[in-house]
Amino acid sequence: MQVIENLKVKEKVYIEKLDNGLTVMIIPKSGVQKKYMIWGTNYGSNDNKFIVPGENKETEVPNGVAHFLEHKLFEQENGTNSLDVLTSLGVNANAYTTNNHTAYLFECTDNFYEAMDELMDYVQHPYFTDENVDKEKGIIGQEIMMYDDYPDWRVYLNVMQAMYHNHPIKIDITGSIETINKIDKEILYKCYNTFYNPSNMALVIAGDFQPEEILEEVKKRLIEKTNQGEIKRIYPEEPESIVQEKIEQKLEVSQPLYTIGIKDSREKCTLENKNEIVKKHLSIEILLNLLIGRSSELYKKLYKEGILFGQPSLDYEFGKNYAHILITGQSPNPEKLYTNFKAEVKNMKEKGINEHDFERIKKMIYGGYIKEYNDVEDIARIFLSDYFKGINSFDYLEEIDGVNIEYLNQVLQDVFKEEKMVISIVKN
Amino acid sequence: MEYKENEIKQGIKLHMINTKKFKTNLMAVFLTTELKRETVTKNALISAILRRGSKNMPTQEEISKQMEEMYGAVFDCGLDKTGDNQVLKFYIEVINDKFLPQQKEDMFKVAIEKLLEIVLNPYIENNSFNPEYVEQEKNNIKQRIEGKIDNKARYAIDRCIEEMYPDKPFGLYKFGYIEDLKQIDGKNLYEYYKELINSCKIDIFVSGDTCEKAKEIVEENENIKNLEARKPQYIIPKIEAKKVNSEERVVTESMDVTQGKLILGLDIAIDEEELKYDALLYNSILGGSANSKMFQNVREKAHLAYVASSSYLRHKNNIFVNCGIEIGNYEKALELIKKQIEDMKNGEFTEEDIENSKKGIIATIKLIDDEQDTGISYYFGQELSGNKISIEEYQNKIEKVNKEDIINIAQKVSVNTIYFLRDYQEEGNNASN
Repeated sequence: MQVIENLKVKEKVYIEKLDNGLTVMIIPKSGVQKKYMIWGTNYGSNDNKFIVPGENKETEVPNGVAHFLEHKLFEQENGTNSLDVLTSLGVNANAYTTNNHTAYLFECTDNFYEAMDELMDYVQHPYFTDENVDKEKGIIGQEIMMYDDYPDWRVYLNVMQAMYHNHPIKIDITGSIETINKIDKEILYKCYNTFYNPSNMALVIAGDFQPEEILEEVKKRLIEKTNQGEIKRIYPEEPESIVQEKIEQKLEVSQPLYTIGIKDSREKCTLENKNEIVKKHLSIEILLNLLIGRSSELYKKLYKEGILFGQPSLDYEFGKNYAHILITGQSPNPEKLYTNFKAEVKNMKEKGINEHDFERIKKMIYGGYIKEYNDVEDIARIFLSDYFKGINSFDYLEEIDGVNIEYLNQVLQDVFKEEKMVISIVKN
Repeated sequence: MEYKENEIKQGIKLHMINTKKFKTNLMAVFLTTELKRETVTKNALISAILRRGSKNMPTQEEISKQMEEMYGAVFDCGLDKTGDNQVLKFYIEVINDKFLPQQKEDMFKVAIEKLLEIVLNPYIENNSFNPEYVEQEKNNIKQRIEGKIDNKARYAIDRCIEEMYPDKPFGLYKFGYIEDLKQIDGKNLYEYYKELINSCKIDIFVSGDTCEKAKEIVEENENIKNLEARKPQYIIPKIEAKKVNSEERVVTESMDVTQGKLILGLDIAIDEEELKYDALLYNSILGGSANSKMFQNVREKAHLAYVASSSYLRHKNNIFVNCGIEIGNYEKALELIKKQIEDMKNGEFTEEDIENSKKGIIATIKLIDDEQDTGISYYFGQELSGNKISIEEYQNKIEKVNKEDIINIAQKVSVNTIYFLRDYQEEGNNASN
């Protein structure tokens, strides 16, 4: 097993790539009760068009299949539901689907191996029938309706519509009532067989374990499958430009919600140059805090004017063929906030970055990455999602030393372009 | 892990949770005071105003800069309703000095001192809080109160509680009321602050690997020295006897929603503290997990809801059943939920259900030590009720619950209020909000 140690946070990760292609990562944490296991596939709502390894024609499936599969995998041929089985073991089990990956997980104090039996069994044994697929449409339909009423989900989906012309990042992870109605068991099996091959998956375990022992336990529970090799994914051509600068939706909310989006140039987000991506990610985090973070001039001004009440959430998201910044919050006057933000970006480009502020924010970001190692759940989740982006999570703690003012100024010029900015608003 | 407490003065306690599990140290100060209609809004405002500045860090910007300088220490505050008390909570989470790139900084001590400074030594000019800060925070609270409607699921539960406790402290909204705001200014708020700080219960928590150092730091702290001993004004949460309801209330409210939120507020007519463990298991079987009757029958079998659960509010002996449903399915869902409650009374659950629920509850108990803030909340809950039991004892009490005990609880459960949040109906009868 490959061992990577980080001396700053004083933790180690053990990594093994098995013959069938599965990557296993183990982060031992001695003395904690909580144990966490997560098994993910590099397959999310974005992956709707692809070439199955061994075939040469393209396959296109309706929106929402990845999420549908997540729901359906729990159901077993013997009539049991794995979520019930796991719950009855006293473990806390769940699953989720993102744009990029789908993951099955549990957290527990006792019965770890029994839960591992169940989780590894159900993820490897799909059971879809016409009847059980049909039944699931009702539950997912309710889930879709629930999200329809979430203003924060609407404001997020809308900002994607404003930024992206064609990329599937703009579609709802769940699909729509219309697209899920087109899903049948054949489609589910096809996607399952393509994307749930070990070569497309990674498994992370964090807790008080001996790495070699736990690796053997994983191997014992794997059914035989051959490494099928790479899946070619096809994404539509996405122009550099945005679709529209402003998008608004009406919903009953007390206070308008907004998300400012900045579409980032996508060719820099190929996963070959991972150190560069980490450095860029860190720089964007620092820049966002300098621009509109709690200690910034802009924050002070907008707070005083009653336009901001707390720090907006500041994110940089990226994956296959897309990348963007999101600034999200609530404000009585999102338009004014947006104008002020654009002016502040311009101002910072002209005046340059203050060295003292930069050093302080860099310290803050460093601390934030250290804190992620408090909880086995955070650790395992971060290692999994970074892995699918081609990143080892420790890289953030390593690369931060190399971020300097010149680099930051460069990113500020390259990424924070006015013609790439959009705003999404949800209000009464 | 090891827990110690130390009375600094009457009504002021230091709690030390020694643990080596974390990268961080977490410090907290909780101010506990009786929940009253007259002071609920002022308390909410105080928790907001204190974070605006202290004597030595007079602006929010200054506080933020100092936190950032401490490798992103996080200062945060919260406001809770715990039984009939309002609790103002202030936290600082700071990285343990061991994980700093450069050594030698004593961030542990600095963090405690800054936290105490923010809570106990506010920024005051001419015997008043800064009037500008007060006006801004009044406005923020107003927005906050108006923002109740944004989270429909939370709103529906809060509204159900309000309907169940009209004119009672527990029915109060923890952020207060808009109509109170206009009488509040910097001067009278500061007057009230002095009253509060001299009469409330003060608990200081430190969780981390060098907790014993906290005792000296706190005892030597000037802001602590300036505080008077007090007989703290708060309500010890005690189980209240409730009658079995013969009549259930139905409240319907309309909003612009696609999905309906159906809440059933249940009363449990028990009056012994020890029965709370039985009630915890009852709730777990009814709607507390994915194995529960609610989840299995309302979601998995009838497909009536995506969210179908229940939660037990132990300070008040209520259970809130919570469903997100298609609006047209109201009758069907209600009938099915009531059937679950009825089935519980008739003992229609298995030994396996009980065992599963015990495992689930015990797993959460074991995790108390693995999360710093959960640890603090656990010890605070015990401090407030004056009923200290160790994590092991807590586990044992759960283990001992049997089927009869749970049926006994089921017999004492009755529906108090049915609350339904739905869309606007086409014709007439448009309830306003």
